[in-house]
Amino acid sequence: MITFERVTKRYPDGTVAVDALDLEVPAGKTVVLVGPSGCGKTTTLRMVNRLVEPTGGRVLLDGRDVRDQNPARLRRGIGYVIQQTGLFPHRTVEDNIATVPVLNGWRRAKARARARELLALVGLDQALARRYPYQLSGGQQQRVGVARALAADPPVLLMDEPFSAVDPVVRASLQEQLITLQTELRKTVVLVTHDIEEAIKVGDLVALFRPHGQLAQFGTPERLLGAPADDYVAGFVGFDRGIRRLSFFSTASVPLNTGPVLGAGVTVAEARAAGEPWILVVSGGKPLGWVPSERLGRLPRDTPLGQVPADGFGHTFTVGTESLRAALDAAVLSPAGQAIGVDGDGRVVGVATFDQLRAAVAEERTAADAAAVAPGAGAAAAPAPGTPAGQAAGSQAGAPP
Amino acid sequence: MSWSWIPGNGALIWQLTRENIYLGVVPALLGLVISLPLGIVAARWRWFYPPALTVVSVIYAIPAIALFIALIPALGLTDTNVIVALTLFSLCVILPNVVAGLRGVPEPVRQAATAMGYGAVRRLVTVELPLAVPVILGGLRVGMVSSISLATIGQLIGVSSLGYLFIDGLQRSFPTEIYVGLVLIIALAVACDLILAGVRRALTPWAARS
Repeated sequence: MITFERVTKRYPDGTVAVDALDLEVPAGKTVVLVGPSGCGKTTTLRMVNRLVEPTGGRVLLDGRDVRDQNPARLRRGIGYVIQQTGLFPHRTVEDNIATVPVLNGWRRAKARARARELLALVGLDQALARRYPYQLSGGQQQRVGVARALAADPPVLLMDEPFSAVDPVVRASLQEQLITLQTELRKTVVLVTHDIEEAIKVGDLVALFRPHGQLAQFGTPERLLGAPADDYVAGFVGFDRGIRRLSFFSTASVPLNTGPVLGAGVTVAEARAAGEPWILVVSGGKPLGWVPSERLGRLPRDTPLGQVPADGFGHTFTVGTESLRAALDAAVLSPAGQAIGVDGDGRVVGVATFDQLRAAVAEERTAADAAAVAPGAGAAAAPAPGTPAGQAAGSQAGAPP
Repeated sequence: MSWSWIPGNGALIWQLTRENIYLGVVPALLGLVISLPLGIVAARWRWFYPPALTVVSVIYAIPAIALFIALIPALGLTDTNVIVALTLFSLCVILPNVVAGLRGVPEPVRQAATAMGYGAVRRLVTVELPLAVPVILGGLRVGMVSSISLATIGQLIGVSSLGYLFIDGLQRSFPTEIYVGLVLIIALAVACDLILAGVRRALTPWAARS
């Protein structure tokens, strides 16, 4: 656990980078510091491993003031990942990863064996072990950076804009990987980003900063989207926060209709009898496409649906696993205006209309709001100065699984 | 051009060449050895570099022959005189490269090293100096080539080198000797340069090649 107690960083020229910050990073959680440039988020991060020293207040790591510890030793217990990777250009990938174990006195062979384990952990081919950083792509370099930070198995990981320098596709895959790694490793992660989407995606908790190092709101991503503390927060999380909040709502309770779902062997006559404006044709449980009812009228009665030209269905959503945002998107993209729910194997479970999705959204929102104010749903941190506690403090209860 | 002069004086030419190599290589290496600590100090304590650079530039502006003569009272007409003078000249070219090499270490790399728990000395020795090697060796190449060439001027104070061939050839109006000296000096300079380029490549397999 990392605790910031009234931490201030004031530079000699009078600039205040961080202003009396109170923040608690729970053990095993990913906390994202997000805000515009110059809001002190990176300074805050660097005060944990003493790359920057506070001018007021204390930073505690598991209850101990970091300034009571030898800086080099402290830092070997804290993984550090930066945007420009900071890989050592003169060392091979495996020796880069082995850096901290070697500093800790491991024999080189043992440290390299450990480096190979980490290559696998971050999803890189063992063949890269002997390459030099300049021979890697940006995404691969960033993965090596993460592997290097994890090499000595530190309980704490600090990440400063770790995915900002790579293209959006690579960034998404690196974010996914961090989320997956976290479910296994349960490190205490502090990640700095200026990208609110990234914060919402990877954070268990998000600390949104104002310029000059003040905390605007600290809580779960769902709370930031659902109950922004003020206009600044609402503006920062974006005008489409309503849609994005749906990412945290489950599709488990969406009602699904099976009426429009018919097999490829069913005849046109039977399909007409179903009385649906659109028919979803399936084969072996997998969707083939949508057929409008008007198209059926012009065909011989005994034509099997499999031979009727069908319109594409966009994409499906996995019931219970994917969010209401995915379901709504599926409905928007579908020619029939209906979202196709499938099980884990991609077999159609049923379809849902816009109206049904809207009802599910209302239900989930009510449940989330109720959970947020329910007694026992402890506030995750002290509120920002000057902000009412009930608004500013997020709660764990609404956290995504 | 009198080709027959060459085989007839093979022993002399070989001896002069060896002397020239000695007078060129030793000062460059000494210059490197002295530049490293000075460069490290200058890269770390920035105030030190501007005055150091001024001193070095003034030295570099002294004509070689003038420096040789200035050193005669202390060192006489000896190899040591030439070596000391040429060491000072190499220092002038190598020191700025040591400073540039160390300052050129990317800040994220330096920061990552610190954040991973390197102390200042270990970081310098195992991260910063290795990364500065290409730039430092670049300085050494220039220092060595210019030492090899300036060593010939030592002949004017009687220190033997390929410079002998220029002076002797001039005094006897015998151009062959001058041509041979010129070709050998250029060949020596190119050979040293290529060797150092090879050393650089061997020491820095990690550097991207364009």
